[in-house]
Amino acid sequence: MILVIFMVFMTLIARMTYLQWFNHEKYLSRADGNRISVQTLPPQRGHIFDRNQVLLAGSVSNYKLSFRRENIIQFDSTFEQLKTLFPEIESSLLDEFSQTLRRTPRHRDLALPYSLTEKQAAIFAAQRFRFPGVTLQAQLKRTYPLESSGVHFLGYVGRISQNDLQRLDARRYRGTEVTGKIGIERAYEDRLHGYPGLQTVESNAQGRVVRILDTIAPKQGENITLTIDSRLQRFIEEKLGDRRAAVVAISPLNGEILALVSTPTYDPNLFVDGINHTNYNALINNPNKPLINRAIRGQYPPGSTTKPFVALGALEQGAITMTERIFDPGYFEFQGHRYRNWRRQGHGWTDLKRSIVESVDTFYYKMSLDIGIDGLNSMLSPFGFGERTGIDIPGEASGILPSQEWKRATHGEPWYRGETIIASIGQGYNLVTPIQLAQATAILANRGRIIQPHLLKSENSDIQNFIDPTSELDRSDQIPIRSRNHWEYVIQGMIDSVHTPRGTAWNAGRHINDYQIAGKTGTAQVFSLHDTDFNADELDPRLHSHSLFIAFAPASNPKIAIAVIAENAGSGGRVAAPIAIETIDYYLKELDKP
Amino acid sequence: MINSWLTQKDQTYVKPRSWLASIHIDGFLFLGLLLLLTTGLITIYSASGGDLNVTKHHAIRILIALGLMVAFAQIPPRKLALITPWVFLLGILMLIAVIVFGDMGKGAQRWLDLGFIRFQPSEIMKLALPMMLAWLFAYSRYPAHPARYIVGLFIVGLTAGLIVIQPDLGTSILIAMSGLFVLFFAGLPWKMIIGALVSLAIAIPIVWNFLHGYQKQRVLTFLDPESDPLGAGYHIIQSKIAIGSGGLEGKGFMGSTQAHLDFLPESTTDFIFSVFAEEFGLIGVILLLTLYSLVLLRGLYIAYRAKEPFNRLVAASLTMTLFVYISVNIGMVSGLLPVVGLPLPLISYGGSSMVTLMISFGILMSIHTHKKLLSN
Repeated sequence: MILVIFMVFMTLIARMTYLQWFNHEKYLSRADGNRISVQTLPPQRGHIFDRNQVLLAGSVSNYKLSFRRENIIQFDSTFEQLKTLFPEIESSLLDEFSQTLRRTPRHRDLALPYSLTEKQAAIFAAQRFRFPGVTLQAQLKRTYPLESSGVHFLGYVGRISQNDLQRLDARRYRGTEVTGKIGIERAYEDRLHGYPGLQTVESNAQGRVVRILDTIAPKQGENITLTIDSRLQRFIEEKLGDRRAAVVAISPLNGEILALVSTPTYDPNLFVDGINHTNYNALINNPNKPLINRAIRGQYPPGSTTKPFVALGALEQGAITMTERIFDPGYFEFQGHRYRNWRRQGHGWTDLKRSIVESVDTFYYKMSLDIGIDGLNSMLSPFGFGERTGIDIPGEASGILPSQEWKRATHGEPWYRGETIIASIGQGYNLVTPIQLAQATAILANRGRIIQPHLLKSENSDIQNFIDPTSELDRSDQIPIRSRNHWEYVIQGMIDSVHTPRGTAWNAGRHINDYQIAGKTGTAQVFSLHDTDFNADELDPRLHSHSLFIAFAPASNPKIAIAVIAENAGSGGRVAAPIAIETIDYYLKELDKP
Repeated sequence: MINSWLTQKDQTYVKPRSWLASIHIDGFLFLGLLLLLTTGLITIYSASGGDLNVTKHHAIRILIALGLMVAFAQIPPRKLALITPWVFLLGILMLIAVIVFGDMGKGAQRWLDLGFIRFQPSEIMKLALPMMLAWLFAYSRYPAHPARYIVGLFIVGLTAGLIVIQPDLGTSILIAMSGLFVLFFAGLPWKMIIGALVSLAIAIPIVWNFLHGYQKQRVLTFLDPESDPLGAGYHIIQSKIAIGSGGLEGKGFMGSTQAHLDFLPESTTDFIFSVFAEEFGLIGVILLLTLYSLVLLRGLYIAYRAKEPFNRLVAASLTMTLFVYISVNIGMVSGLLPVVGLPLPLISYGGSSMVTLMISFGILMSIHTHKKLLSN
């Protein structure tokens, strides 16, 4: 038995000698060969420019600290020393990171989610010898030079989450830490991201790269140009300040969005490295809800801004003529209920044009009963109300354009005629988004030629790709016109509302002399007080009416169409109209130059 | 003779030679085991990449196993002989139960779940089968009547057959080998040995057809590991690289790049020898084999000194079983034998096999110390 054991063990030792002595070199080189690995080179993300090639989103190089556990000799003291070296890095971040690092495989690199500036990198480089296992790693970081300006259409990139992983191609995102989260960054992620490259490297026993054997360069993401004019965007943002408001300015010629403003705004740079709790909670808990993109997600009662559309529809459908007059005593009575005009004493005898200029509610109350809710619906829907415009960023709301069928489907109730009366002045169930209102205004400015609002500035073939296929609006088409005069008549009413003393926007537009603006104010009630008197100043500010204004100019040859909604800012003529008219003036005089 | 041995009353003994002997511990064996277990602990710490949790778990298992060893060392061999047939019968029933109700683990029905504990009945058989065979031959004249060998072969075949169904080819072969060792020690005639080998040669093509795909693959891969470098041959290739790259002196403690860069699979269990060989080189391997040899020699010495046939057969077969496990594991990771799932005794991470092993050492110690005291 002893002999058997001896012989077998000798055989094993002979085998080991064969492997470990005679073939040592061969296996040693193969063990090294094991350390030849393929690394992914992440692509540089494409830049985003505005229509004048102003950089909206780019990349800056910065540094990260990369940790490898197996090379760190003193785990705790390494982090203590880092805290003393960089007091500006939150110590909770470092503590959290050191916990993560302890759970990471020993030979894998893990980067601290904190971007070092050039100066910080220099400080670390000088102290490098004190940090075995920690290396500086240069990288490109997304940056938004205009900071908070335009964040609502631009969006931002953030760290790839579990949810992102499910929709992203893992191979294409190997080595990439961030992806577009919302806005343009999300919508054009596929173009902006690019394709990663490959690098075959040889690592030493510690896994550090000692030699690059082969490189396939990454393909940089596409640069994209937007239709936005960042100067106009900033001009509007400054006008609005911290007000809760949304402004959309469109070129009626081609649907290019010149400005898409939602205020208050916030800085997208906060999100790039992963936003910290303090900043995030501040944004989330802000009662003005800066994270919401009001321009495409905010849904507001359109108020009197619907009047030109209703008036036009009524003319075209023959429900009224251009000369017909209606007497306004200040209210309209129906089934024992008084529907009040905004001006208590009334406007007296009023024709359709004057009903636009002075925004005579009673006129629409009366007329709407002849038209009916489905009639109103058919007048407004060609302009895109109640439908997503299909703008090329995610998250758009659809608004509501009620009809009998809509009410039955959503509320399970029949339509009441009283509801038609309030629907005629854009109250009740009606809800629009600012982008819808701007699109409708542009179509009106175009005398019925339908445009598709979009942010990407490029050839038409591109734009076709992002039209919302579920949308019923036929965007390549023209709204049928029975009489060109009807259009000019309504538009003249809008011009008069800005340029004549009786017009609701006279105060805002009286200084405009060298061209004509066609506009319409809107005051959307948030809170219905019916017949009781109230003192507006005592009312909770959140219950104040929204101030709305739509306009396009020059009226005869429109180059810009705009919709402004200022939440709880009172009447349309007071807040929204001045902002819109100043914006138009700035754009036509300062920016729209060949 | 055996019956009188079995019915002996316990005696009060004259004072033992040392305090170790008084608790039935064989100092020589104990020292060897401690050295091996410590080597295992150190290697596991390195192979797991310095994972203190894994190392701690293993240390706890070592303590439990040592406790069981001491406990079994207290049981006089006579009592073990009395319960042997019943334990064996229970083992067989559990093997059948595994096949009928077995809990599916890793695609094989090796585990029995009793609600509070899950274990592998084949582990029990590693001890129960050699002891059963020893029991069978201990009560007969030497050499035994050929019929006994036939019964013995049947017992081996039945046990190995039940385990191979699970399917666990590796354990089944090893258990069969340990059983054949007892038959050999019991004086199995050469005629029958040759006959068994011949029938084995005939059986191979038949068994081949019953093998699972992955089992066939293992054998084929064994013949030519490089043919499937990313599949079944991967383990062997990476293991040979680890061993070979260790060289004469090794890469030093914690120096195994093969294990640390995750090239070597199962580096804390079946392939732990590769990590050891990579880090401590040929010199370390020779020292380890020397250590194993000392333990094995002590086991054989215990068998030689045992007076009762049952004790002698049990001691010899348990020792040789250990030897088979050591050589098969090292032969496997160095590419001499096909890859069968088998830990390196006393070194690998893992609870059940170590417990079985330490119990067998407890039995060895019991045989040695009780005999010694009796002889006084």
